Amino acid sequence: MTLMNDPIQIDKDKILNRIGYNGNSTPSSRIDSLVDDYIENYHDFIAPFYSHTVRGIKAVNGNRVDTGDSIILESYKVARLMERCEKVAFFACTIGNYLEDLAAHLAEKGLILQATVLDAIASGTVEKLAIWVEQSIRKDTGRDGFIISRRFSPGYCDWDVSQQGLVFKALGDNAAGINLNDSMLMVPQKSVSGIIGIGRPDKEIENYNPCITCLEKDCPGRRR
Amino acid sequence: MSSNIIELIRENVIQGRVTKDDEGIEEGMAGQPGVTELVEEALASGADVSEVISKGLTASMEVVGQKFETGEYFIPDMLASAEAVGAAMEILKPHLQKSGIKPKGKILIATVKGDIHDIGKNIVIILLRGAGYQVKDIGNNIEAKDIVKAVREEKPDYLGLSALLTSTMVSMEDTIQALEESGLRDKVKIIIGGAPVSEEYAREIGADGYGADGFHAVSVIEALNDSE
Repeated sequence: MTLMNDPIQIDKDKILNRIGYNGNSTPSSRIDSLVDDYIENYHDFIAPFYSHTVRGIKAVNGNRVDTGDSIILESYKVARLMERCEKVAFFACTIGNYLEDLAAHLAEKGLILQATVLDAIASGTVEKLAIWVEQSIRKDTGRDGFIISRRFSPGYCDWDVSQQGLVFKALGDNAAGINLNDSMLMVPQKSVSGIIGIGRPDKEIENYNPCITCLEKDCPGRRR
Repeated sequence: MSSNIIELIRENVIQGRVTKDDEGIEEGMAGQPGVTELVEEALASGADVSEVISKGLTASMEVVGQKFETGEYFIPDMLASAEAVGAAMEILKPHLQKSGIKPKGKILIATVKGDIHDIGKNIVIILLRGAGYQVKDIGNNIEAKDIVKAVREEKPDYLGLSALLTSTMVSMEDTIQALEESGLRDKVKIIIGGAPVSEEYAREIGADGYGADGFHAVSVIEALNDSE
């Protein structure tokens, strides 16, 4: 696992969006300064670790993607992407547990507003870290003439969260210090894991988005 | 005098001001007494505790709820108000028994087995307390058998179950089944909430209600309370 040394810059508008504001609404000055204060200071309380590994795709049959060593991903939508790819990158990243522990402590003290803002900042930060990991994989694979797909994570769409164990099996001991609980949820919570398809230049890989044809219009994970 | 203080408490809850140091939703309020100072003042002046709660706190949260529903208030504004009510209830707690004030009902609340998310549950707790209920949080990742044990021991009127994931919401059904098997299902009304669940899912697993958000959860429990 690797400690990420580049500073993670989070977008304040996205944090405000996470706590309920949209483009047409602005927070009161009190809420605005609270968000500003936390954004200014959160860097001191995160430990961004990540890891990734790349495996070849041995076979794709129906909804099964076989990457060898009994690491068989089961999702119809993931399989439709992977049948166009040659390899798959498995990744995991986390910002550590300090922010989420602090948010839990604040909530316990009844400071639910502060806890909620901090939780939104933690979620925004780990999302930014996942984007950084994706870009780093894009850079690495690009040197050999490959392109990458979007990220897909267990627990979204038709890829069951129970398969999260396979992502960590692929990563081996090198799993960014993240543990899985009995329900296959990551601890620390502010962690992201998943896969990225790798193939020769192909718009169908780069733009693959099963959400476009999906009828679940209210799905919280819907991507444009 | 006392009605003046209660009106000020009401106003400051709506502004989400816990202490005098807090700014309100509207600017320029920092420095004026906040809810905690006003509640202390109300107690010192002999104000009726039940009036402080009903007219000062509960009524103001109803206004906050309306502002939230109409889009005038956002989640953080609502949370600031709920925090103010929570702080006020902490000050009032020792006086409740003395004044013979009973909570509207007792609620146990838990995030079900496998799930470790609790921000949503914490919001619901603070809103329910503000609405006059006694709430006991039994934690996250709670197994069905432990929820059954807590229901047996605490004898709550309501049980709130929370889950954030489709993979963990099935534990809600397991919990309801475990309550049925232990003969406790009819002793408690069950309300579920969380991103993946719905009214339909609540019916499907035999829950009594579904709360789409914090204020909705409060109104569902109020409706169940009124129907008894």
